[in-house]
Amino acid sequence: MTTDVLLEFADVAFRYPDGNAGLAGCSLTIARGSRNALIGANGAGKTTLFQHANGLLKPQQGVVRYAGQPVDYSRAGLRALRGEVGLVFQNPDQQLFSASVREDVSFGPLNLGLDMAIVRERVEQALQAVSMAPFADRPVHNLSFGQKKRVCIAGVLAMQPRLLILDEPMAGLDHAMRAELLAVLDGLHAQGITLLLATHDIDFAYRWADRIHLMAGGRCTAAFDAAALPDNADALAAARLPMPGLVELHRLLVARKLLPTDSQPRAMGELISQLSASEKDFQ
Amino acid sequence: MLIEQCAYGNRWRRVTPAAKGLFSIGSLIAAFTATQPATAALVALLVVITTVFGAGVPAARFLRVALPPLGFLLLGCLTLAYSLDVAPANGGLAVHWLPAGWTPVLQLAARSCAALSALLFLALTTPLVDLIALLRRLKLPEVLLEIMVLCYRMLFVFSEALHDTRTAQAARLGYATPALTLRSLGSLTANLTLQIWQRAHDLNVAAQSRNNDGTFRFLEPAYANSRRDIAVAGLGASTLILLAVTMR
Repeated sequence: MTTDVLLEFADVAFRYPDGNAGLAGCSLTIARGSRNALIGANGAGKTTLFQHANGLLKPQQGVVRYAGQPVDYSRAGLRALRGEVGLVFQNPDQQLFSASVREDVSFGPLNLGLDMAIVRERVEQALQAVSMAPFADRPVHNLSFGQKKRVCIAGVLAMQPRLLILDEPMAGLDHAMRAELLAVLDGLHAQGITLLLATHDIDFAYRWADRIHLMAGGRCTAAFDAAALPDNADALAAARLPMPGLVELHRLLVARKLLPTDSQPRAMGELISQLSASEKDFQ
Repeated sequence: MLIEQCAYGNRWRRVTPAAKGLFSIGSLIAAFTATQPATAALVALLVVITTVFGAGVPAARFLRVALPPLGFLLLGCLTLAYSLDVAPANGGLAVHWLPAGWTPVLQLAARSCAALSALLFLALTTPLVDLIALLRRLKLPEVLLEIMVLCYRMLFVFSEALHDTRTAQAARLGYATPALTLRSLGSLTANLTLQIWQRAHDLNVAAQSRNNDGTFRFLEPAYANSRRDIAVAGLGASTLILLAVTMR
């Protein structure tokens, strides 16, 4: 089903001018409307991959396809691509450069050449979506790290991308802020936006994603549906990632016949409620 | 930082910057028109009263912000107050106290105070963000505005980087002795240079990813009651100018 593929990397290679390999024959597909987690060690090439998806970098080998078409690297082509693929950088200070929150969020949509009234409306919507509307007139440097991160997301959302890419969005956020960010992402997914995010947290990826992509040494080493993660122990081990504790625990409980074999909890909360609902006597 | 706090925390934060700018320019004109020291002092006093009681800027804070420029003013007055004369008659130096009397000194002091209060009124009630938006509406060249925006943002990014690096150095005894201090300052400078380079590059990449093609465009904020506020400010400013003209 090729029509369902939104973004495709086919054997993409890229080497930085200083000799560092960014990508080395990377192939990956992102299905329309799906939630994707990209897991890889530091230096595995995640950021390089993202910059290719947004047309910031041009592959030296291989091809990047968006919606079935190879990316057009002309001015107009890049303009169209960057309007469709939004990229949220890992470090908010890298992305924010306007003096005030509203200005910064308006930057992207104004670059798309939209009308002032439409931009104003989109900016308000985007700030609402990340619950930053009360901070619209604040200067950027007065915000906390988590707030800056949300402004970054709003700045990309205001461009109304179809594919939203987030580079380690959870890094440096406390528990409550992670939960809020997740709620924002769920809302976006419900609107039909395709999500791709980089993370180091395999437990989170198992809980949240539809599909998990593993990366190592500039290549995508494995990709599988998150539900099939328990069957991919080898791929995880090759990427030096542990099996989520939840999977191990669930297996043990099934082996002890405390849970039925057909249950597959993806989050600790699910496992606990399955256990409490189970009529088995723990004695 | 003190100015930042006032600009964001004063009572007139929501008033359109056009009104505040108009009043500020009006009082500047009044300061220049006032020839009598007493008139200029009155203008200064009125503007200070407007800032403190109108916009609700704490008087103590106003004074603290005004102190450094007042120091410079004092220096300037001193140089006017006496003149150095190479007297050829006895081949020595002669110092003249108040060669032209008190008038020019008082005039300079009073006028400068009036002009200073007019500028401080604007700086303490209007955040730079709003000022930049106002200047954009006044059709100041885009290049200048972009530089202002970037400098303003970078000021905070770099002061944060500077602070972090300094703290990290101090935590490892980098500033324990004068020799170490010199050494640490050297590596701090080297490190910041690299960081600035890197950050400038990063910002450029991030701007490109949001479809930037070179010019920066930003949304202008909207203000309620801006007509009324501009009218009030215009009235205040013309009263001051009228006062300065009639009391010549």
